[in-house]
Amino acid sequence: MGSSSSDMSHIPDAQELMQETGFSAAHLARLHERFEFLDKDDRGELSPEDFSTVSELAMNPIGDRIIAAFFSPGQQAVDFPSFVRILAHFRPTDANRSRNGRNGAQQEPANSRTNRLKFVFQLYDQDRDGKISREDLLEVLRAMLEMQVEEEQLQSIAERAIQEADLDQDDAISFDEFRKSLEKVNIEHKMSIRFLE
Amino acid sequence: LKLQGGNTLQWLLILLMLCPPRGLLLLTVLVLLEGSVLPLGAASSPDISHHANSDKHQVADVGHNATKKPFPVLAVEYDRVQIPFEISLWVLLASLMKLGFHLIPRLSSIVPESCLLIVVGLLVGGLIKLAGEEVPPVLDSRLFFLCLLPPIILDAGYFLPIRPFMENLGTILMFAVVGTLWNAFFIGGVLYGVAQIQPANPSDLHQLDLLPCLLFGSIISAVDPVAVLAVFEEIHINELLHILVFGESLLNDAVTVVLYHLFEEYAGVGTVTVLDGLLGVISFLVVALGGVLVGAIYGILAAFTSRFTSHTRVIEPLFVFVYSYMAYLSAEIFHLSGIMALIACGAVMRPYVEANISHKSHTTIKYFLKMWSSVSETLIFIFLGVATVDGPHAWNWTFVTVTVILCLVARVIGVVGLTYVINKFRIVKLTTKDQFIIAYGGLRGAIAFSLGFLLNQDHFPMRKMFLTAIITVIFFTVFVQGMTIKPLVELLAVKKKQEAKRSINEEIHTQFLDHLLTGIEDICGHYGHHHWKDKLNRFNKKYVKKCLIAGERSKEPQLIAFYHKMEMKQAIELVESGGGVKLPSAVPSTVSMQNIQPKKPPPVKAAERALPQLPKGREEEIRKILRSNLQRTRQRLRSYNRHTLVADPYEDGFGDLLLKKQKMIELEKKMNNYLTVPAAPPDSPTMCRARLASDPQAYSVKPTSDRVPTIQVDLASPQSPDSVNLLDEFRRAEQPRGEAGPDQGLMMKPASAQSGPNKSREDDESRDQQQKLMRCLSDPGPSADEDEDEPFLP
Repeated sequence: MGSSSSDMSHIPDAQELMQETGFSAAHLARLHERFEFLDKDDRGELSPEDFSTVSELAMNPIGDRIIAAFFSPGQQAVDFPSFVRILAHFRPTDANRSRNGRNGAQQEPANSRTNRLKFVFQLYDQDRDGKISREDLLEVLRAMLEMQVEEEQLQSIAERAIQEADLDQDDAISFDEFRKSLEKVNIEHKMSIRFLE
Repeated sequence: LKLQGGNTLQWLLILLMLCPPRGLLLLTVLVLLEGSVLPLGAASSPDISHHANSDKHQVADVGHNATKKPFPVLAVEYDRVQIPFEISLWVLLASLMKLGFHLIPRLSSIVPESCLLIVVGLLVGGLIKLAGEEVPPVLDSRLFFLCLLPPIILDAGYFLPIRPFMENLGTILMFAVVGTLWNAFFIGGVLYGVAQIQPANPSDLHQLDLLPCLLFGSIISAVDPVAVLAVFEEIHINELLHILVFGESLLNDAVTVVLYHLFEEYAGVGTVTVLDGLLGVISFLVVALGGVLVGAIYGILAAFTSRFTSHTRVIEPLFVFVYSYMAYLSAEIFHLSGIMALIACGAVMRPYVEANISHKSHTTIKYFLKMWSSVSETLIFIFLGVATVDGPHAWNWTFVTVTVILCLVARVIGVVGLTYVINKFRIVKLTTKDQFIIAYGGLRGAIAFSLGFLLNQDHFPMRKMFLTAIITVIFFTVFVQGMTIKPLVELLAVKKKQEAKRSINEEIHTQFLDHLLTGIEDICGHYGHHHWKDKLNRFNKKYVKKCLIAGERSKEPQLIAFYHKMEMKQAIELVESGGGVKLPSAVPSTVSMQNIQPKKPPPVKAAERALPQLPKGREEEIRKILRSNLQRTRQRLRSYNRHTLVADPYEDGFGDLLLKKQKMIELEKKMNNYLTVPAAPPDSPTMCRARLASDPQAYSVKPTSDRVPTIQVDLASPQSPDSVNLLDEFRRAEQPRGEAGPDQGLMMKPASAQSGPNKSREDDESRDQQQKLMRCLSDPGPSADEDEDEPFLP
């Protein structure tokens, strides 16, 4: 990308990361700054407590889920590459795809539609069984509606949502059904943060 | 004699209207009549007034003189009613024209309405001129700006889709402000240059100074919302392009106002200094932001007022209209942008007002706005035609052709250049196709003409030439661009509007994504627009809604509102499908729409038919649905076509509909009837009605047999078996559930067995309701029932 590697020296595997996620050097540097800001005790890793220092997340109904998404199951710390990989899901889509071709990497980039949807799907599917069950959906609704609604109404809404989306009648929403129900929504637009351009 | 003529013509008019319409013939005749009546009316008024005066005089004399004249049995006094009469005649003409166009099927698909209306205006103007009369100065600027324009803008502002507007606000502002400025200066400058380069052939053009040129440029450069609306309404392009062009046409008003006043002010003096330019910029900010502020203030006032209208539902629509109009007028007092004030007022008040007002008021507001804006638009185009005939014209080939070409060129260059810059900041880039449509959709209209009309002849000796050029440009854009844009859209395969029905899944996921994005932005430390949107929503929920929305509605989450709306729709679908059909399993079991069993012969199955219990949960559900107000915040604005309001049966009368349906279901449940509905494939409402009409027993309750336990409800005990009172019954039944209602409970009791007469009344009621239901469905207008004037919600 033409930038000198001296800035990147304190970032491990910077070049690899840039290729993998598609971030530019400037963005990577910015993200590293933010990482270090969040990393209060300077361990080079973030723990859930570090995330909790972001005050707005506490007010976010799904804040805890978002934090949990950064951590692989079982782990209590996330290092910088993992941090960046998660955030790569929110990078705006490239106008030209030639960059990926030149890489030689046949992998789909993190910010492809499918990968973005997979990320969201995992946020719903907390028990990681590959489907959004009624219970999963109810949890999400409870979190979002923040106690303003009675349990029965939540049940009705969840019921209705599953019936609308569930095509193979297994009383849960699989990833494909999830994708289908969102086909009219412009995910690339909705899930892009301009900052990460 | 003239009087006789006038009378006869009017009788002819009436007669012709009664005859079976023959499309074109009717149109032509109407136009002819219109053209002839008006000048006759104008001409004969002096005679009549004189006549009337002499009559009056004579009548007065009778008392004094001995000589008695015969009492005038029939006197004509046109003078007194002339102005309202002519206004009504114009409005009638406009409406009949609209009617006529849609009677001729092929015409309306080829030629956009605006073109046809201008042609009609030309015809009428021509007729008036032929009759030798003075053409009334119909497109008088005051009339235009104070009466004809506000309804259209209010309609646009009230139904403005806020989300796409806000998402694209940056782009829209760029086009509106920078684009218009570029257009104005480019056109004005080049015109001045052209005007000067004719040394060999000295013409009037040499008189043209720079400032009048720039003024002309600023008048002609503004994209006109009326024309854009009229044309874009019919081509159904995708939401993004629509909001871009339309938003631009609305927001460029501020720029136009400032430029116009700036150049007009200094055109006499001859020079504009840098200081003036700077003041102009400041003035622009004041005009734009001031307009928005004024509008927002009035909007909040309207929202606040609507909080207290629960006892006077009838005048609720009036508040909306009057506050909005006041916003417009107040902005105009200070030369702020009236259009922006109107838009801001409508957009600000809408979510709160809609949460407060009754369903009928909502329907009224919608229909009145559409009606007024429709008539206004029609009148504007007709008047454009008439004003064209009127003149005064000063045709100058060079000037006019150069203007037309320059408008096109400037627009294209402006759009392309701006898009190049804008695309650097946009996530969803604008493609070449998009740019073409945006450029092509830059139509000019009546605002430009009225602004030109306002010019003072003394200060601007070239006024006539300007007006001619303006009219030519308007004609060109409306006719050429208006007619060809539809085939071009097809040709270029531009994305059309998605007639998408939103599902509950989409709604849930979209909200989820909003939260997710806000969270990620917080983690990144980036205060992007999700962050601010979230903050605004919180602020709104915490403080504003409590202030401006009455009662419990202020706490209702969006998702629930949406969910209820879907349930309503399902209920209506159920009703439309015949009422007795069991719903497919797509309906969740907790929803109260199920368990309507089709008819089965009583002796066979009666024993098996268990008494449908109404589980407590479902009852609660029903009560909740009934209690909450039934028209909801439309989070995603459904697309609407200004000409066909009937397209959405869900939105009209569904409140009443649902209530009646609920009652029907309750009746069915509680009385344990088995509806004697003929096994029903989904029928059209007509079929249902026909069936009902022919078979009065179709929906009645069979006389109970001993085998089937019955619960009979004493539904109407203290009151008369009127459907309105049933409504009250239900409402009162809910009151003890915590609603802060004025009435206290009369709990609805499933009463013990009642006597026969009660039952037969219930028969009538259920039949009545079903018929009313059907009538409601077929008539998308406000309910025709006179006795339902009282609102069904406290």
